[in-house]
Amino acid sequence: MASDSRKVIVHLRATGDAPILKQAKFKIAGTDKFIKVIDFLRRQLHRETLFVYVNSAFSPNPDELVIDLYNNFGFDGKLVVNYACSMAWG
Amino acid sequence: MSSDKAIINISTWDGTITSTDFYVAASNFAEQWNNLDLGFPHWSWINCPKGPLFAASKVEGYLSLENMILPGSTEEDRNHCGLAGIEDLSCANEDVYTDTAILVQKHSQERHHYDFHVVYSSSFRVPVLYFRAYCSDGEPLAIEDLEKEFPAYTTQELAISKWTFITQEEHPYLNRPWYTLHPCGTGDWMKLLFSNEPSVVSQGGVAVEKYLIPWFSVICPIFGLKIPLKLFVNASNKSENVSYVT
Repeated sequence: MASDSRKVIVHLRATGDAPILKQAKFKIAGTDKFIKVIDFLRRQLHRETLFVYVNSAFSPNPDELVIDLYNNFGFDGKLVVNYACSMAWG
Repeated sequence: MSSDKAIINISTWDGTITSTDFYVAASNFAEQWNNLDLGFPHWSWINCPKGPLFAASKVEGYLSLENMILPGSTEEDRNHCGLAGIEDLSCANEDVYTDTAILVQKHSQERHHYDFHVVYSSSFRVPVLYFRAYCSDGEPLAIEDLEKEFPAYTTQELAISKWTFITQEEHPYLNRPWYTLHPCGTGDWMKLLFSNEPSVVSQGGVAVEKYLIPWFSVICPIFGLKIPLKLFVNASNKSENVSYVT
């Protein structure tokens, strides 16, 4: 249980022509779903459509738990999440 | 750009692949998926010669996974499924007769089956997903029915890009109407996906055979499909075995 409640450091990294955030690193509960990260980005960037992916050529399901993503794709104590403003569909 | 097997230089790459590359990537994807025993049906390559007229296309077939029952659809959206069944029956009742036996069956948990085909598009030079869904009795489901069981973010996306996301088109090999995901953005996001991948960064090239696993990571959330992460972790580690020839 202790490991579930752990906080994960998420590092948001802009790619392409996406604007860079003032606060690019933040902590989030490992039990939160990845959709929370996506929603945070949407609010910060005022964009409805974003393309979000982690470094291992993988675009996570919004329902994945942040801790699972960290355990599989985290590196150097953080989970790097890349975002681009391009629309995936049309 | 890429000849036989292998590696594409990331800096000049536009995210697309050739039909030969597609076959290589499809075989690799199916092999990894099937080996990991993920609890889903297996992918298989369907040979589908189009005849001498279409000899220009090297890929004579597509990747197929049929009879997938989406895990989420039976639990969360049971009510929706039930309602859909009842509506259909009420229509039938008016015209023909009432069969209480069928009515009872429809009340029980309705499972929706999905068929997925991955077909190479020679105009966009990327893989394209075609799919159809049906009830256990074979009755096909329209997109309006599916919307009810798609996750919220898919429904939202459908509202934003109604004609550029999911539409019904003729299946290139079966010549029947199937639903399809629009491929115009695929090359762009495939390039993005690979541009920070550790092995690509260190080697400067994209291993073609690894193309379809990242591609599928973008596809499956649309259906609320959660694939065990080991498939994707495995894919990124597997780069050790690939010989890079940039």
